[in-house]
Amino acid sequence: MSSMTRARDATEVPFRDLERRLTRRRWAQLDLRLRVELVALALIVSGFLFWQARAPLDGLAHRGGPPAVVLAVAVVQVILAALAGVLAATRRARALRVGPPGPEWLALPVAPERLARHLAWDARQAGWAIGVPAAGVLAAAVGLIPAAWELALVAGSAWLLSVSSRLGAAVGQAWALGAAERRPGITPLACALGATSRPRRHRLRAATWSRTSPLWALVRKDIQLTGRLSAVARKAATAAMLWALALLAWGLPGEPALRHSAAFVLTLLAAASLAEWLAVLSGADPFAVLRGLPVGLAAVWGARFAWALLGLVLVVVGHAMAAHELSTHALQVFLVWSGAATLGVATLGVNYGVTLFPRADLAQRLLGLALGLAVAASIMIPLSGWVVLWMAVIHSARRLTHWHRLEEA
Amino acid sequence: MLRVSALTRRYGARVAVQDVSLVIASGEILGLLGANGAGKTTLIRAAAGLLPPDAGTIEVAGVNLWDQPVEARRRLGYAAEEPSFYEELSADEYLAFVAAVRGMEPKGARERAHALLERLGLEDRCGEPVHRFSHGMRKKLSFVAAVLHRPAVLLCDEALEGFDAAGALEAKSELRSLAAAGSAVLFSSHVTEAIERLCDRVVVLHGGRIVRQLERAHWGAPERGPSPLEREFLTVAAGANP
Repeated sequence: MSSMTRARDATEVPFRDLERRLTRRRWAQLDLRLRVELVALALIVSGFLFWQARAPLDGLAHRGGPPAVVLAVAVVQVILAALAGVLAATRRARALRVGPPGPEWLALPVAPERLARHLAWDARQAGWAIGVPAAGVLAAAVGLIPAAWELALVAGSAWLLSVSSRLGAAVGQAWALGAAERRPGITPLACALGATSRPRRHRLRAATWSRTSPLWALVRKDIQLTGRLSAVARKAATAAMLWALALLAWGLPGEPALRHSAAFVLTLLAAASLAEWLAVLSGADPFAVLRGLPVGLAAVWGARFAWALLGLVLVVVGHAMAAHELSTHALQVFLVWSGAATLGVATLGVNYGVTLFPRADLAQRLLGLALGLAVAASIMIPLSGWVVLWMAVIHSARRLTHWHRLEEA
Repeated sequence: MLRVSALTRRYGARVAVQDVSLVIASGEILGLLGANGAGKTTLIRAAAGLLPPDAGTIEVAGVNLWDQPVEARRRLGYAAEEPSFYEELSADEYLAFVAAVRGMEPKGARERAHALLERLGLEDRCGEPVHRFSHGMRKKLSFVAAVLHRPAVLLCDEALEGFDAAGALEAKSELRSLAAAGSAVLFSSHVTEAIERLCDRVVVLHGGRIVRQLERAHWGAPERGPSPLEREFLTVAAGANP
């Protein structure tokens, strides 16, 4: 008994220290820009929920008084806490199914209960994100109920989030352990973790061996990577979804001018997503693989520019078929505008991706900056955005010839 | 053949390779020996076209690497010390991509790739994504990609490190047959035993400079082929495999 207590005491402090350090490091490893973006995103989400909840709560306060508001806010907090529990449960179950973050835990002299508590702590962190919308709803009740009740709601919400996350983590563990293969004499947690450390066979479809040019070999490889890298697939899916929405915009009810504008703006957003996808694809090329093979700039750039051309064709053909209401002249102008924008924006993505390899993050930032400048210029002086866009394309093209001299960052 | 002339490469103020010149003839396997940090990897990466030199020239089978990089790389194979791949592709897909970029005839390329994978014990894993491969399996895949097109010049940077004994023997046998067919091979290692048995000539690199060149006769080279222990292991392994 005393040795067990000593063992628990011995691991308690290092784990608490580890959890504190992990919290600090995970925040510290986000660069300043990302931190600002995350804070801004949290403010936007909670602000949006405040805006959405304030008017209904105000109506409730007039009809039923403060108790009705408290009840409504409490119900929303319970729903949000349940969501936090679901997040913690799925994260916990996934960690036990595919392997938790950290070292080979089974190789360390750690009691299974302490390890389980640490893994539960890790899973619970996801649940705290629910605090952002919860804060928006709580803020919407300020002034409609007495301050003491508001404070009680805040404290209750925090308690609910904590309890729900713990409960969710426990459910997730029970779910994952129930599915794991049991072995006599071994704790269920060790069985589950042991299963994750065993490599699983995962066979892909047989490769296609065919005679093709380097350009088409690269195109085929890009398609394969897009299907398998979720970050790359998301960019491609976003572009396709925005392009589909741009076509659907022609069916919106209301003023024709609104449909026209919506279709154009969505086409521009689709082009920006296409450009981001192309930049990220270049970033996925391992330096030593591509630079060690007999491929030149024409193949590398051409394989990505082919997608820009395909985007142009899809935009022109799609809008030509969907925009029935436009006169012939108006349609021609729209097609030239949207087609040129798609080609320009996508080419800019290709150029930044190829020349800034392997920094796909930098390529995306520069792309965003150039497009932001083009939009701002267009708002200030009509049509000047085109000049900014095509100047950026020309400027980025000047570095293309140096692509093979880039070194690993 | 490979001709490196007065090659110098710096990293900031530090000179990694200084005024290095060497020639590897067709059919020759040249060993590159040196301590950690001697400049072996820098020299090989520069010769592979991955690091632009600060001075000097590199000719691959008569083609200047930096004047005609694509032409030169057609004749070049490079097995990296720390290979990188498209991790999400299977080994088979990766090799199919490399073969297509190299303009190889698909049927022949596929047969050669699978024969090499089988010899190195990787055949039954070739349908899995590369990110599931162990270090040794990644090195084997890099080796297969490098020799797939029977290059005129092959650069091996610690290429056999991480191979199991049977795989290493097969790889050495492949290197010998490539050399016999006329390839020039630059084989870098810090394991002298591998170089002793495999290479025709050795250059020793120290502080980024070539400090010694030795012919095979100078080091009282052992017989080519498996060592007594390797032969014993192969006998046991052959007996264990039905």
